[in-house]
Amino acid sequence: MEKNVQSTEQMDSLAHPVNEKTMPESIQGYSQQQRDLLVARLRAGEHKAAAELVDLYYEQIYLFLRRLGHSRQVGEDLTQESFLRAWNHIGQLRDGRALNSWLYRIAGNASRLYWRRHAGSSPASIEGIDVADDSETGADRVGRNEELERLKKTVGRLSMKLRQVIVLHYMQHLTIAEAAEAVGIREGTFKSRLNRALKILRKHLT
Amino acid sequence: MTEERLKELLGTLADATVEPVRQGLSEDIKSHIPQTLMAHRGGWDTINIIIDLRVSRLAAAAVIILAMLLLANLFGGRDTTGADIYQDSKLLIQYWLSGEEAHKSDVLAAMSELYGHLAGQGREVTYYGDWIDPENGSAVLMHWKLPDDNYRVIFSDLRIRTVSAEDLIMLQARMLQERAE
Repeated sequence: MEKNVQSTEQMDSLAHPVNEKTMPESIQGYSQQQRDLLVARLRAGEHKAAAELVDLYYEQIYLFLRRLGHSRQVGEDLTQESFLRAWNHIGQLRDGRALNSWLYRIAGNASRLYWRRHAGSSPASIEGIDVADDSETGADRVGRNEELERLKKTVGRLSMKLRQVIVLHYMQHLTIAEAAEAVGIREGTFKSRLNRALKILRKHLT
Repeated sequence: MTEERLKELLGTLADATVEPVRQGLSEDIKSHIPQTLMAHRGGWDTINIIIDLRVSRLAAAAVIILAMLLLANLFGGRDTTGADIYQDSKLLIQYWLSGEEAHKSDVLAAMSELYGHLAGQGREVTYYGDWIDPENGSAVLMHWKLPDDNYRVIFSDLRIRTVSAEDLIMLQARMLQERAE
């Protein structure tokens, strides 16, 4: 079956432009129809489809968990655990459109459970990489990096509920609808959480 | 700081926190995929058994369509579970057929049977099977009206879509135009 069909999925209710650079290449090539087909194969119990799902999502899920403050090791463990749970709950998966939110919901639950079990442990910080812009002068870059560092720390200090909405929407690039479904709340509630989180971030960065 | 600037910075932060994933993680995860993924209950068990028995894919497709008809009979074709199973069945048939040299006409025959069934239920259903060019994947093979006044459309490449009445008219017009050409 041909895999390189241009994606036709509507990114409705997206409050910010999708950064093509950060979308994993493996997802970009999947049209809605191909995602539906993948889900149908998963629901039918096809082993190869399960491996395909791993290839498509393992990096995203790992990064999501790291951005939620888990260490590398825990991030890897929880990524594995998320997929194990996914195999056991394939029956809950409706169609290709729900694939993103379904997997993120499973990973989010695995993360929440981890924090509950390890209430005393503090979140780990993810190492930053320099995303240099050629048009920037040295001073601009230093200023921007400082700003980013402050933002990273402030995001890290947000409550887990608020941090999750920021990470899902602005870093994992889920639409409002997908992200709300991943968290298990209504879109309106999600938007209000997002606004609250943005307000806190602005307050601390100004 | 403006909200726009903050959103822009969050985007940059996303780029700046793309950490390389350990090589081998995907293989570790894949090694834990259970040999048997069991997702479906009820009618789907039958389908899984058929697959496990390695019977002809075409025969499996025929049985799935029969199962769909049975479900449609049981639930009057209006329940969501039936609709989900129908959607999955269509996709699976499409997938399987693409993997072997099968004759599309067998599926078209099954579609014709589905048409007969829906018509028998008193649905507003139209079947173009004998009229369309089977090589034209975007041709409408069948459509029927849904309770919300939209239409479910099956194309000749077995894609399925729900469209409004206006969209259906456009699809039909395009089909007529292509046929005239």
